Amino acid sequence: MAEIKVKQTGKKIEIREGENLLEALLGAGIFVDNPCSGKGICGKCKVRIVSGEVSGITASEERLLKAEEIQAGIRLSCMAEVSGDVEIELLQKERKHEVLTKGYMPQFERDVYDDGYGIVIDIGTTTVVTALIDLKTGKELANASMINAQKQYGLDVLTRITYEYEHPDCGIQKLQEAIVNSINAMIGEACQEAAVDRRDIREIDVAANCTMTHMLLGVDARSIGRSPYRPVFTEAKDLPAREIGIEAAEDTRLYCLPQVSAYIGADIVAGAYVCELWKERGNVLFIDIGTNGEIVLASNGRLLSCSCAAGPALEGMNISSGMRAAEGAVEDVEITDQGIRLKVIGDQEPAGLCGSGILAVLKELLRTGIVKKTGVFVKKDKLKEDDYRYSMIQMNGTKREFILCENPKLLVTQGDVRQVQLAKGAILSGFTALLGKAGISMEDLDKVMIAGQFGAHLPSESLIGTGILPGEVEGKLVYVGNSSKTGAYMTLMSERVKRETERLARKMEYMELAETENYERIFTESMIFPENR
Amino acid sequence: MSSKEELLKRLSDGVVDMEEDDVAEAAQEYLDEGYPAFDGIMEGLVDGMNRASQLYEEEEYFVTDVLLCSDAMYAGLDILRPHLPEVSNDDKVTGIIGVVEGDTHDIGKNLVKIMLETAGFNMIDLGRDVPLTRFVETAKEENADFVCMSTLMTTTMGGMETVVGLLKEAGLRDKVKVMIGGGPISQKYADKIGADGYSQNAVEAVKLAKRLLNIA
Repeated sequence: MAEIKVKQTGKKIEIREGENLLEALLGAGIFVDNPCSGKGICGKCKVRIVSGEVSGITASEERLLKAEEIQAGIRLSCMAEVSGDVEIELLQKERKHEVLTKGYMPQFERDVYDDGYGIVIDIGTTTVVTALIDLKTGKELANASMINAQKQYGLDVLTRITYEYEHPDCGIQKLQEAIVNSINAMIGEACQEAAVDRRDIREIDVAANCTMTHMLLGVDARSIGRSPYRPVFTEAKDLPAREIGIEAAEDTRLYCLPQVSAYIGADIVAGAYVCELWKERGNVLFIDIGTNGEIVLASNGRLLSCSCAAGPALEGMNISSGMRAAEGAVEDVEITDQGIRLKVIGDQEPAGLCGSGILAVLKELLRTGIVKKTGVFVKKDKLKEDDYRYSMIQMNGTKREFILCENPKLLVTQGDVRQVQLAKGAILSGFTALLGKAGISMEDLDKVMIAGQFGAHLPSESLIGTGILPGEVEGKLVYVGNSSKTGAYMTLMSERVKRETERLARKMEYMELAETENYERIFTESMIFPENR
Repeated sequence: MSSKEELLKRLSDGVVDMEEDDVAEAAQEYLDEGYPAFDGIMEGLVDGMNRASQLYEEEEYFVTDVLLCSDAMYAGLDILRPHLPEVSNDDKVTGIIGVVEGDTHDIGKNLVKIMLETAGFNMIDLGRDVPLTRFVETAKEENADFVCMSTLMTTTMGGMETVVGLLKEAGLRDKVKVMIGGGPISQKYADKIGADGYSQNAVEAVKLAKRLLNIA
C-alpha cells in the first residue's frame, strides 16, 4: 500500500502501488479535469509531484507539456503510476461556473392545484438545473444548479457510455447514483431555501438528452453509443420517483419528457414545444449549440431534426488556451490597430478562453484578415513590419500563432482555429442538409431560434462572423434561453402539455447526417469561413 | 501546343490549387499530345498531391483542403488511368482500411486512404461500420501487408483490440502490420492493445506505413 497526500488540503488517499494517479484521485472524489478520460491526449490533467515516486515521463507527456513544466515536476496524472508514497499539488481551481436558468415561455393554461409543490429538472451533460415550483401559483420559489456529478466518469456522453461498456458490473449503477445523489442534494437545497418540506413534492419533471435520461433511470445506454445508435426507449416515462432513489414523498411522481432518437433527446423536444414549432406556418429553425449541435427545422408542417457532432471545441475544450465558462475566462475580444481588448468573466486576470471567447477571437481574426477563409493564418512575411497585425503573430518553428495576451501568455494556434473550424463545419453542414431535405434555401428562413446555456452567450456577430450560421439569417435570430427547463416546467403544470409534447415527439422526423447523400461534400463546403466582411 | 513539362506542371498545380476542371482539361490535353499516362499520374497528379500533403503538414492546408485537392486528382486519374499499360497489383503493397464496427464517421479514414493510395499502396477500402471479422477475412483473402482501422467514437475503440486478437487467432499477426488512428486514439492506446503503430493524421499515416513495412 502507498499513500497520496494532496498538498492543498492535506487529504490522504490510500492506494495500491502501481495504481494510476488520475484514477486514484478521481476515485477519492478529487476532481481533476480530464476531457479525454485519461487517454493522454488532451493534456489537461496536470498535477505537480511535490515529492515521492512515480513512473517515468512518457512520450505523450513530452509532447503535451512544456520543458519548464517537466522541470517543475508537473505530470499528466493519467500517465503517471504511483510507486510509493507521494505528495502532489493540484493545479486546477474549481472555478465558479455561470449557469443559465431562465428563458422564454409561451402562454398556456395551468392545471388547478390547491397546494403542493413540484420540481423541474434540466439534466445537461455538463450542468444540471433544478427549480422548486409552487403548484398553486405556478411560481418558482427557489432554484439550484450544479455541475453534473457524472463528470468524474467522463465529460461527454460517449465517454460515459464507454464507462458502461468497460464496467458491465457496476457502470450503469454508478452513473445513476451520481445523478440521483446530485438531484437529491439540489432538491434539498431548494426546499431549504424556500422552507418547503420535501415530502410535499407531488411531481418531478425531467428534460434531458437521451443518454442522460437513460442513465437517470438506470437503463442501459450502451446501444446509443454505437451505430445504428438505437436507444432502449424514446417514449415519455411516468413512474414513482422513489423507484430510482429520489427522496421525496412515497407517492411523488417522476415524469421524463419523451425523446425522438439517440441524439435528439427530451431537451430538444421540450425546446421545440416551447418554441411552438409545430404551430409554425413559416420556415423556422431551432438550434441548440453544444458538443452536439441539435437542429430542428419546421417547414410546411413538417418537423425535421438532426444532430451534428460539433466536438467540445466550442465549449473551450481541445483548445490550447481553452477553459470552461468560469471566472477568469475571456468571453469577448476586440482587435484594432490600437491593440487587443479582452473582456474577462469576473473582471479577473485572463486565465484562458471559454467558448464564447474563442468564437469572438476567431470572428475578429477573420474580420482583420489575420485568418483567411480557408482557416489558415496569414503569412507573417506577407505583412509589412509597420502593420499592426505584424507583432500579433509569432512564429513557432514554421507554425504561426496569434498572441492574444502577453502576460499571462495566451495564444491562439493554427490547431485551435482548425478545431473550431471542424465544429463550425459540423453545425453548418447539419443546417444545410436539413434545408436541403426540406427543399428550401437559407433566404426562405423566417426565424432562427437559439436555445441552450451555451448559445445564450453567443452574440449574433460571433455566430455569423465565424460562419456557424450563414449571413442570410442575420437579424432573424431569437434567443430562447434554457428551453429544456421551460419545457419541463410546462409539462409539470399541465397534463395537456404532457400529451401534446408526446405527440410532438412522435411527429418529429430524425435524419442521420452521416447517411445523407453527398454529406462529405456538404461538410467540406461548410468548413469555409465567411469572406472578410 | 504545350510541352510535356508544361502540362505536368499544370496537372500538379491544378491539384494543389483544387481546380478540378482545370486538371481534367490538362489531363485530356496531355493524352492528346501522346504523352505516357504513367508519367502524367506520377509526375503530375501524384506530385501535386504530395505537395498538398506537404502543405497539410505545415498546417497551411487542412483536411477539407486536402479533400478538395484529392477531388482534383481523381478527376485527372479518371482520364489518365484507362491509358495505363496493364499492370497487376501483385507487386504493390496491399493495405486494408476501414472504420470499425459501431461507428459511421469516415471522413478521416477517407483522407488516410487517399494519402496511402497516392503513396503507391494498393488500398482495399471496407468502408465504415465494418464488422470486425471482415478486417481479418479480407486481410487473409487479399494477402494484405497491413490493416488500418479508425474510429471517432470512444465507445467503439475496443473493436480494434478485438481485431488484433482475431489476427493472432488466424495466425496472421506476424504477417500483417496493424495501424490505428482517429479522434480518441493515442499512442498509449496503440501500445495497450498491441497495434504496431498510431498516427495522428493522414500524412503521418503514410510515413508510419512506410516505416513499418521497411519501404524507403
